[in-house]
Amino acid sequence: MSNFWHWTVIIVVVLHLIAYLWLLFATSKKKTEKRADNTTGHVWDGDLREWDNPMPRWWLWLFILTIIFTVVYLYLYPGLGNYKGSKEWTQINRFEANYAANTEARNRSFAGFINKPIDQLIQDEQAMLIGQRIFANHCAQCHGSDAGGAVGFPNLADDDWNWGGDYQAILTTLNNGRIGVMPAFAPALGEDGTQQVAAYVRSLSGIDHDAALASEGEAKFGMFCAACHGPQGQGLDMFGAPNLTDDIWLHGSSDVIETALYEGFNNQMPAQQDILDENRIKLVAAYVYSLNQR
Amino acid sequence: MSKHEKIEKNIGLMGVLVAIVISFAGIVEIAPLMTQASVVEPVPGLEPRNALELAGQNIYVAEGCYNCHSQQVRPFVDETLRYGHYSVAGESVYDRPFQWGSKRTGPDLARVGGRYSDEWHEIHLIDPRAVVPTSNMPGYPWLADTPVDIEETVASMEVLQMLGHPYSDDEIANAAASLTDKTQLDALVAYLQDLGTAMPKSYQ
Repeated sequence: MSNFWHWTVIIVVVLHLIAYLWLLFATSKKKTEKRADNTTGHVWDGDLREWDNPMPRWWLWLFILTIIFTVVYLYLYPGLGNYKGSKEWTQINRFEANYAANTEARNRSFAGFINKPIDQLIQDEQAMLIGQRIFANHCAQCHGSDAGGAVGFPNLADDDWNWGGDYQAILTTLNNGRIGVMPAFAPALGEDGTQQVAAYVRSLSGIDHDAALASEGEAKFGMFCAACHGPQGQGLDMFGAPNLTDDIWLHGSSDVIETALYEGFNNQMPAQQDILDENRIKLVAAYVYSLNQR
Repeated sequence: MSKHEKIEKNIGLMGVLVAIVISFAGIVEIAPLMTQASVVEPVPGLEPRNALELAGQNIYVAEGCYNCHSQQVRPFVDETLRYGHYSVAGESVYDRPFQWGSKRTGPDLARVGGRYSDEWHEIHLIDPRAVVPTSNMPGYPWLADTPVDIEETVASMEVLQMLGHPYSDDEIANAAASLTDKTQLDALVAYLQDLGTAMPKSYQ
């Protein structure tokens, strides 16, 4: 705040307080003529009149008390221009103190279980409840509140994993995020090749398929797909390439195989390490891990 | 007739006097903030929105997203645990009009940038219930088939430059090219992915 406004605010506020006090005393000193019937003399509708009583004492005292309160408040807290108040209170100071207290309280309540080995951590009821709440807040938007996933976003409650389902792999996924790319194979496969490979991929999961097309697709699968999805199509955690033999489809159903081959897919799990602290990542990773251990 | 009686019986005079008294509060509480707004420095690393993001912001305003989404993480522990670092004034210097909002039917979006993948945003904007079954947000499927209004976006860049946003003439000259073949969905997702990224994601 510039000097001009600093002093404007102070002067206006102080003059106001003085003016209020003056108003209070000046008007209370003024003697008004008392009428014999103790009314103001106003008459409405022929017979309505009002008493001319002094202001109640408690009301006057309240007025004075609010002025005293204001003076004390403006001394303790910021209010007069750039004056910071004797307590040097700011909302950010208050927030930082609250946050530190909250972190301490959280760490205290985590202390009972946070360093347990993972097998015991997932048995800890409180830890799992906290993990579930963090999941609901930060993960459920994509993976669903029951961790059941959505079209394009993996189900975390089954035992099918694209990037590995052990505790360490889940931690890595949470901390660093994952980027899964299925390249578009339209230029390499063409329309016919796409149909053939799609038929072969269906055969891997034992879904209805055209056997003749599938046998033509097998060689092309070996050439283009096996590098990521493995020679038998069983998937590879290193690339996040899904298992194609289990009839579980990341993008909804086997109907999208042609689209996947032709146009490709981009899947991204955003990194959480800048969003959640270490303890909360541990808890939510343990919660996700626990979904498959029951 | 006493002065007091004169004021009491003349409602016009009383109105004028009341306005004068109230305007003192305005001088103390509002006027200093109006002059302060121009001295707020952008936070380090904050850039004015590029053409696509600006088009997205205009769509955000046009579709009324601010009716349900705020863009202001208040300095409270629970809000920072949920949304990330509290918002500061220097983040909003290039928001014209600012999108702080005043109502949260949906979650706050001040730090939504980078939280979800582009694909998630696309699916979610077209049909929110495809990813969040309990969502009560309306779908905006037409965004995917509506091209960005290039002329309007370039015009708003020019106006913002006039108002002091540090756009270079080159940026404005290249804006139209960068918006070719972009849909409103692309623009809105680009805008959302940029929100709050000039500050740390979380307060720790």
